[in-house]
Amino acid sequence: MSLRVYAIAYLIFLYAPIVLLPIFAFNDATIIAFPLSGVTTEWFGALVGNRSLQSALVNSLIIAGCTAVFATLLGICAARAGAMADYPGKRGITGFVMLPLVLPEIIVAVSLLVILRQVLGLDLGNWTIILAHVLICTPFSIAILNGAFGNLDPSMEEAALDLGCSRWEAFRLVTLPLVMPGIISSLLISFTISLDEFIIAFFLTGANPTLPVYIWGLLRFPAQLPIVMALGTILVGLSIILLTIAEIFRRRGITRSGGQDTGGFL
Amino acid sequence: MSSGSPLTQDQSRAIRLMGLPFAYALALLAIPLGAVLLFSFWTQDFMTVDTTFTLDNYREVAESPIYGLLLRRSLMVSGLVTLVTVVLAYPVAYFVSFHVAPSKKSLWLFLITIPFWTSYLIRVFLWKVILGYNGVINSGLTQLGLIDEPLTFILYNVNAVIITLAHAFAPFAILPIFVVLEKIDRSLLEASRDLGETKVSTFFWVTLPLSMPGVVGAALIVFIPTIGDYVTPELMGGAGGKLIANMIQTQFLQLNNAPLGAALAIVAMVCVAGISILFVLLNRRWLRRQT
Amino acid sequence: MTDLISLKGVQKYYGDYHALRDIDLTIRGGEFFSLLGPSGCGKTTLLRVIAGFEEVSDGTVVLSGRDMKGVPPNERPTNMVFQSYAIFPHLSVAQNVAFGLRKRKDIDKASRKSLVEEALKMVGLAGYGDRRAHALSGGQRQRVALARALVLKPKVLLLDEPMSALDRKMREHMQVELIRLQRHVGITFVLVTHDQEEALVMSDRIAVMFEGEIGQVDEPEALYRRPKSRRVAEFIGKMNFLPARVTGIGPGATPVARPAAQDEVVPGRIPQSRAAVKLSGLMRRGGEPAADTPATPGEAMISLDIAGLGQAQVPMHQAPEGAREGEVAVGVRPETLAILFEGDQAPRHECPGTVDEVVYYGDMTYYDVRVKDVPQPLTIAMKNLMGRPVLEVGQSCRIGWDDRALVVF
Repeated sequence: MSLRVYAIAYLIFLYAPIVLLPIFAFNDATIIAFPLSGVTTEWFGALVGNRSLQSALVNSLIIAGCTAVFATLLGICAARAGAMADYPGKRGITGFVMLPLVLPEIIVAVSLLVILRQVLGLDLGNWTIILAHVLICTPFSIAILNGAFGNLDPSMEEAALDLGCSRWEAFRLVTLPLVMPGIISSLLISFTISLDEFIIAFFLTGANPTLPVYIWGLLRFPAQLPIVMALGTILVGLSIILLTIAEIFRRRGITRSGGQDTGGFL
Repeated sequence: MSSGSPLTQDQSRAIRLMGLPFAYALALLAIPLGAVLLFSFWTQDFMTVDTTFTLDNYREVAESPIYGLLLRRSLMVSGLVTLVTVVLAYPVAYFVSFHVAPSKKSLWLFLITIPFWTSYLIRVFLWKVILGYNGVINSGLTQLGLIDEPLTFILYNVNAVIITLAHAFAPFAILPIFVVLEKIDRSLLEASRDLGETKVSTFFWVTLPLSMPGVVGAALIVFIPTIGDYVTPELMGGAGGKLIANMIQTQFLQLNNAPLGAALAIVAMVCVAGISILFVLLNRRWLRRQT
Repeated sequence: MTDLISLKGVQKYYGDYHALRDIDLTIRGGEFFSLLGPSGCGKTTLLRVIAGFEEVSDGTVVLSGRDMKGVPPNERPTNMVFQSYAIFPHLSVAQNVAFGLRKRKDIDKASRKSLVEEALKMVGLAGYGDRRAHALSGGQRQRVALARALVLKPKVLLLDEPMSALDRKMREHMQVELIRLQRHVGITFVLVTHDQEEALVMSDRIAVMFEGEIGQVDEPEALYRRPKSRRVAEFIGKMNFLPARVTGIGPGATPVARPAAQDEVVPGRIPQSRAAVKLSGLMRRGGEPAADTPATPGEAMISLDIAGLGQAQVPMHQAPEGAREGEVAVGVRPETLAILFEGDQAPRHECPGTVDEVVYYGDMTYYDVRVKDVPQPLTIAMKNLMGRPVLEVGQSCRIGWDDRALVVF
């Protein structure tokens, strides 16, 4: 019983900052402090028509979209390979591909900055962030898709082959529909990670900032803080929606391929 | 499987499939890391890079007290964050694994992971709002008449950094512990009770040792990335709360001294890796002595 | 019957592991053939070699006259019922059955539909077409898997442990149904199983496999009565083994043909060649089936000196080559030995013993009986016929045996 109380207290601790977001987003005061002074939608209104914000948002959406697609494609390759057969060096190779999951992000950022900028002398832009985000999102994608591919009965695809399909047809007609929920889940998670990622984007961003980099700029101006709160409210709301959809698809995928839900994305 | 034997069709197909993600990680992780290592032995003067091999950067890292201070502080902060996070997370993981109905488990995990996925930057900033001079805690406590002066020990110092990071990495710590707890065969615990152990002694003699791999995993997955965070110390740490990652960031983005930044990154990474390996080895030995 | 499947010198390695060792095997058209063996013996690998899921490391696989080297599973005239049934969970029952038909250009939509319905009817699932796969029971899944494979009219249907996911009652029911289905469609069935009873009940012929090798290929009854090696004998049913010595080979006594007893029970289906057995009329006490076949007139007999039992003469064909001189082992099935009760017909040979262990099965009682000079107690199976008592441990009794029920190894 006391454990349950503790767990709930812990959840409150986890959610405390997020709960404050909408409160201050609608608060009619430029200073972020109690007591609250009144309700306003002024801060949300300030977001509309903000050119630099819109361009940052568009950048972030492009980056997140491309990242989601490429990371998921790589994730499909790795998860399918992982479910197929053991080969010499499998653990090492898989471990290496999963490495960005535990690597300090600043290391990823620094090393990519060095290679792209200093060694290759390339200009930074959205594509450099995409390269980096694909690297850090692929392990998450693999983790999600491993669940979908690993739960799949290997004789499903063999049955399709046995019934006259070519390898590609067997994959397209049987495996793909069965792992599709996992793929959607992976797309959404990768999208969310990329949309929120700041540490690497700050290093690799070009002339046009991404949304988190833009927010970082706003944080230095106290007068802008209520607007950041409004923007944050929208972003967090969006993230929660995307994550909920991802979770629903992930679970559906597990039931569809006949597995047991072990819970969680990791 | 002997290494010399030819591969089966399935194996070569799996290797070909894995080739793409592997090549990607090789090109964008291994090679860049190699470049960082190389850079750390070079020097840079504004825009021109001098590629003669030198240990000057490492010498500077070793001799300037600021780098040592930042590195020690970083490791201390990461260590404390890890300790706090894992200790706070274990009971939650235990609760979800042992006391939550199986059908509700994924809901709990989902609730735990959601904050982790929502805008990191904004979450960190919100702690500033909570802990700040005019923040939620201070304004709340003043309103209630509990304090006259705002509390100052909770912002712009190392404490604030630790609180914020512990919050940010909480789900990272819960999940690995949970996964290991889930795998524990429940009949082992019943066997322990059957053999006369109490609930508490069963926990310390059976559950805890069996869940140690998860605890180690949780510790590493918190400890390693926290070293690389410069957002939290920047926003929360004030002058006295800056960490090594801030210095790396400054060297690269403001001072344009990539080689020194690279040397700092390499030193930080070696320290983290060394401590992590030591930690894993010590834990293994401790577990062996237990049995 | 023509040879439909012919394997010659088939080898399969997984790294250093030798999964199939020099397999030579022919399976005839229209046959119900079983691959029987303990787990890990290579029977499933052999099935997958025939299906095309595993490439052979060496040797040839010929299916209806065509070398299968390099032919992928989707182009082989075989279809498979998987152990897990592999029913596609995202498709309905009808879509599952129609899955392989989509590839057949010569079949239009209407006839495809009627073929599916026909196939479902054949396996007793008429009207189940719209059901989802996850709404089916284990037995129904198996039927869908059968319909899905048979609708393509393959030359060979491969079944990989199809009964292992079913409970006992269902398994027995499906065994009978599968035999009926096989006779109905006339397609060659190749069944993989570790269950000897299942193999004996269902098959025309059985290949017993051990450690990647085929131990014996024979009809069920021959396999049971004349196992060619101790391994086979031990794997199929129970057998007592006694040390013995060959004392000579000679023309021996002519076996006496007696009319079959009324309560004769012969397991499995009896191929015509087995008619002779019915006439032999040996070992009729209590209705236990005879374990031997008679010597053909004039066949040489081997004289043996068996530990504890004494002198015996066995027809030559009951002893494989290499077991015709010196020290040998003699095998005898528990049901071909008898504990003699009052009123039983006089057996050829008798010896005294003491009951060591009694295991009561309801219809049968298994006794372990100690006999002087026999190293292991003999296991004897007795039917619990009306009025026949169950002996107790320690009771002394008389054992009846017949030298024509012996197998020499």
